[in-house]
Amino acid sequence: MEIFTIAFSILCIIGSLGVVFFKHPIHSAISFLVVLLSIAGFYALLSTPTLFIMQIIIYAGAIMVLIMFVIMYLNLGERNILNEEFLVNKFIIGSLIALPFAYLLIKAVRKYTPESATLPDGFGSIEIIGLNMFGNWYVTFELISVLLLGAVIGAILVAQKEKNNG
Amino acid sequence: MVNSLLLVSVLLFIIGTVGVLVRKNIFVVFMSIELMLNAGNLAFVIFSKDLGLVAGNSIAMIVMAVAAAEAAFGLALVMLVYKQKGSLDIDLFSMIKG
Repeated sequence: MEIFTIAFSILCIIGSLGVVFFKHPIHSAISFLVVLLSIAGFYALLSTPTLFIMQIIIYAGAIMVLIMFVIMYLNLGERNILNEEFLVNKFIIGSLIALPFAYLLIKAVRKYTPESATLPDGFGSIEIIGLNMFGNWYVTFELISVLLLGAVIGAILVAQKEKNNG
Repeated sequence: MVNSLLLVSVLLFIIGTVGVLVRKNIFVVFMSIELMLNAGNLAFVIFSKDLGLVAGNSIAMIVMAVAAAEAAFGLALVMLVYKQKGSLDIDLFSMIKG
């Protein structure tokens, strides 16, 4: 148990550093895949099998395939790699902006005392999550469907406009 | 255990923030945003396990749906801008305003 947690943590951090520091977007995408799969592992360790499956199917399956498809469809070669010099002062400025948030968040995390509550029966099963979602969260669920519809219509509109212009 | 897992989630979020602030490539910025969403999701699930509440899992699934919507629309936008300008520089997105 413990060793899996440590392994997933290390994979997570290294993969996310890879996302930020790799030059070519496809390398970033592959190391992002590592992050997503290790987060799926965290979900499995946190006794939520439903989210484990959802993370693999939706994130690693659908969203990452969409991103990789677009990267490959645009056929990015050496000429498209932006000439981003990895200037040290750029990273220093970025880190300076992020540092206060990091300080506050780490302070809050250190102060938190775990409750370690007893889990209800069938915690993390799809039945319990479904009952909760359609019981307490049904308005949000409906709003999500509207959001997805809006995103689909927006994507179609954007693509169509491009076709008319060209 | 819980605190160290939360620390991982915080670190992921901070690395995602730095990625959004520093990088210019639109795909990397996009993936950094997804990284921040994932860090938030992880924190939700950790608290859900720790407090024994199912609501955290529901929120995590809703966040996944939001991420899917973002990917669908955002990538269409990236393709449009790339076809018109031939570059992946995030600064080109300032032409969308208005």
